[in-house]
Amino acid sequence: MRWKLWLLMAPALIWLLAVFAAPMLHYAWLSTQAQTVLTGLQPRPVGAQQWLRLWNDARFWQDTWQTLRFSSASLGLEMMLGLAIALLLNQPLRGRGTLRTISLLPWALPTTVMALGWRWIFNDPYGPINQLLRQLGLESAGFLSDPAITWLTAVWADTWKTTPFVALLLLAGLQNIPADLYEAAALEGAAAWQSLRRITLPLLAPYLLIALLFRLAQALGVFDLIQVLTGGGPAGSTESLALYAYLNAMRFLDFGYSATVMLGSFAVLLAVVGLAALFFQWSRTASEELR
Amino acid sequence: MARLALLIWSIGPMLWQLYTSLRPTDALTGGASGERAWTLEHYLQLLQGDPPFLIYLLNSAVVGASSTVLTLLLAVPCAYALSRIGRTASLTLSLLVAGAAAFPAVLLFLALLEVARDWHLANNLLALSLPYAGLSLPLAILLLQASFRDIPLELEEAAVMEGMDLWQRLRWVLLPLMTPAMASASLLIFIFCWNEYPIALTWLSRSDLLTLAPAIARIGGSSVYTIPYGAFAAATVIGSAPLILLMLLFQRQIVSGLTQGAIKG
Amino acid sequence: MIANMSMPGSTDSGLSLRGLSRRLGHQTLLDQLSLEVPAGEILALLGPSGCGKSTVLRLIAGLDPVSAGEVWLGGRNVTALPPGQRQVAMVFQSYALYPHLTVERNLSLGMELRGETRQTIARELQRVLTLLKLDALRLRRPAQLSGGQRQRVALARALLRRPALFLLDEPMSNLDAQLRDDLRAELRDLLGQTGAPVIYVTHDQQEAMGLADRIAVLREGRLQQLGTSRELYESPVNRFVAGFLGSPTINLIRDGEDTQLGLRPERVQLQPASTALPNGWKARPGRVVHWEWLGDRVISHVACGPDSILKVVSKELCTDDDVQVRWRASDELRFNRRTGERLSSN
Repeated sequence: MRWKLWLLMAPALIWLLAVFAAPMLHYAWLSTQAQTVLTGLQPRPVGAQQWLRLWNDARFWQDTWQTLRFSSASLGLEMMLGLAIALLLNQPLRGRGTLRTISLLPWALPTTVMALGWRWIFNDPYGPINQLLRQLGLESAGFLSDPAITWLTAVWADTWKTTPFVALLLLAGLQNIPADLYEAAALEGAAAWQSLRRITLPLLAPYLLIALLFRLAQALGVFDLIQVLTGGGPAGSTESLALYAYLNAMRFLDFGYSATVMLGSFAVLLAVVGLAALFFQWSRTASEELR
Repeated sequence: MARLALLIWSIGPMLWQLYTSLRPTDALTGGASGERAWTLEHYLQLLQGDPPFLIYLLNSAVVGASSTVLTLLLAVPCAYALSRIGRTASLTLSLLVAGAAAFPAVLLFLALLEVARDWHLANNLLALSLPYAGLSLPLAILLLQASFRDIPLELEEAAVMEGMDLWQRLRWVLLPLMTPAMASASLLIFIFCWNEYPIALTWLSRSDLLTLAPAIARIGGSSVYTIPYGAFAAATVIGSAPLILLMLLFQRQIVSGLTQGAIKG
Repeated sequence: MIANMSMPGSTDSGLSLRGLSRRLGHQTLLDQLSLEVPAGEILALLGPSGCGKSTVLRLIAGLDPVSAGEVWLGGRNVTALPPGQRQVAMVFQSYALYPHLTVERNLSLGMELRGETRQTIARELQRVLTLLKLDALRLRRPAQLSGGQRQRVALARALLRRPALFLLDEPMSNLDAQLRDDLRAELRDLLGQTGAPVIYVTHDQQEAMGLADRIAVLREGRLQQLGTSRELYESPVNRFVAGFLGSPTINLIRDGEDTQLGLRPERVQLQPASTALPNGWKARPGRVVHWEWLGDRVISHVACGPDSILKVVSKELCTDDDVQVRWRASDELRFNRRTGERLSSN
């Protein structure tokens, strides 16, 4: 009987392996090859040369730093805003359903579509934001042209799109907390922020964790937004790891190295997500011991 | 108050795009047309362009529909089996599937590109549903599996006692009860395919075959327009419209699908 | 420790379980069950939760595989057959009606998929709808039915199959007490008319006693005793069976080193403290500590020595504090205090 069940799962599992696992294995092989215009676009084995190159590649490490910086800023903002929105939507208010749908709209739009929109909104000098700044008597800012702040613009755009997803997830978590707990706390004279700290946050922790890890993995792989919003500029200040891998393949036609960059990025992703997961595991056991 | 802020924050940018798209180009750059001018020229430019903008929406719809069908064909039996198999196996597999769901798909584009080249799958809208199905499978499986679990086992056993084999049980008893879950899953898959960028970017190069996401990027990168922002805005508006419509019509299913899928992960 | 006190007739058209066992990991859910259920008999499987009665049902149905033993039905060995081919119909505890279909469709779906002709389906459908008085409800969905109505639909679905055996899994447990009494008689009639054997799982001993021809008491996967309700009640084979049947439960008092006496509450009398004791009777002094007046009888709780409360059922209230608790020596059931096995009276 059981083997029939495995048979049913087989097509989907095979498909998943083909789409997720096979490419990774392929990259592992490809990263030991050089395949560029110089080799007539045929793979030529070069051992660990590409990896050595990766290790010494300043641009790779710069991009790693930029991607980490982008991800942590974006994630931090998303979590806080997402929680705030979830708390807001948890209140029984009129039109709550509609509000929830509207707040979800940013998530539904394609990243590239709105990225194009942001290019206009943050345009210097004609975009509305800069016009507003000038009207307030301030200097207009190069949101997309100043290397120091362009990455923040990207963070903003990313947060705008992904916060609704986080908010929705946290909202589901909030709705799973039984109302009796709050009532009991209120009877004992707890203030609102106290019940937030001692009831809401602990019970919401698993959802926060899921949202965090999920979003972290996706943020580290950011591509669509950066490519359309800034193209990696100005002066490569917003270039992400995924974009660098893409450029290596599609613009520099350096496929072997592109695969190496991909695997390197994947390694960074695993390391960061793994550390984050471990950190939360540790903090959870630590807080349990304190109690 | 807070709700108003949320409202403005959520749709403000889109409304601004709408506004921008209706203004003549030189008005946008502080030019001579004046404060009160409105125009549809940007929309006309797009709709009459080469190829007309609506083609992109059509392409996206085709890819979305075919991917949804393929994904469901693969996901339904798998989700059923996963819901009926023992605890330990189900947990491990679910974990792996959840991991795949969090995976940034862009990392796969190079390998998939080579597949497209070797098997002549490039510039083929239906072929695009092959990788898309793979990318949508994790979420679909998790969602549908949870739904299958909700159907009481006794119900299926009663059908077994009546002599129904697996296909009959699925067709007459289980799948009809799964309709809401499958609707949610379909919507989420459709939205994902509509928004997907890197794979579409590398698999499609013919301009009349582009789906929406790469088409918008190409418009954004083109220098056909001197000061293109009006056209950009119009493109943004037209590109957003179908999904906004979808969201408004099916909000319940989409939301329940998201929360279910995320929680079970 | 199997006590099979009745000799059933031929079992060619009935159910025969031979050494049926089921193990799951280290647990033995059912250990070597053998019994015969002839055509037309209603057998109740009675026991506490976890005793294995539902396991037996599922093994007979074919929903779970056997670890050892065989199931024979109508002269065929069905042990290796899938459930659909065993000619067995089952009514589940939750009734398991298809929620998205009307009553009519719930009943006809099985027949359609088995390839019956349209006339047959229509005719059979009308037969059971009339039989179970469901005609007026044929277009309703399960969610629009009451518990009792759902049970009838589940029953109708089973009857439609004209099976060789009926399996019922606690079919009354979801119904009010009032409904149950009426339905018991109806159920007996309906099932009796089919002539097929019936296996009925319940944890309610009154239901078992009222409905079944014979009762099989199970405990922790083992058959304790098989017989009519009278046999089980008056001649239980061990302390467990004695304690499981009868309400209120049998009184157990210590009698010497290794013996326990079992006294049915309705066989114990309360008399004023110094009443004369006739021949063949035994007595103990006691104090009434509590009583329950239930309309047709009174249950008194009498303290009889340390740690010993006897329950006595009588028609009237005994208002004295100090009483004489007495019983006929021949009404005693004697048990081995350690093993619970019943000892034959001296």
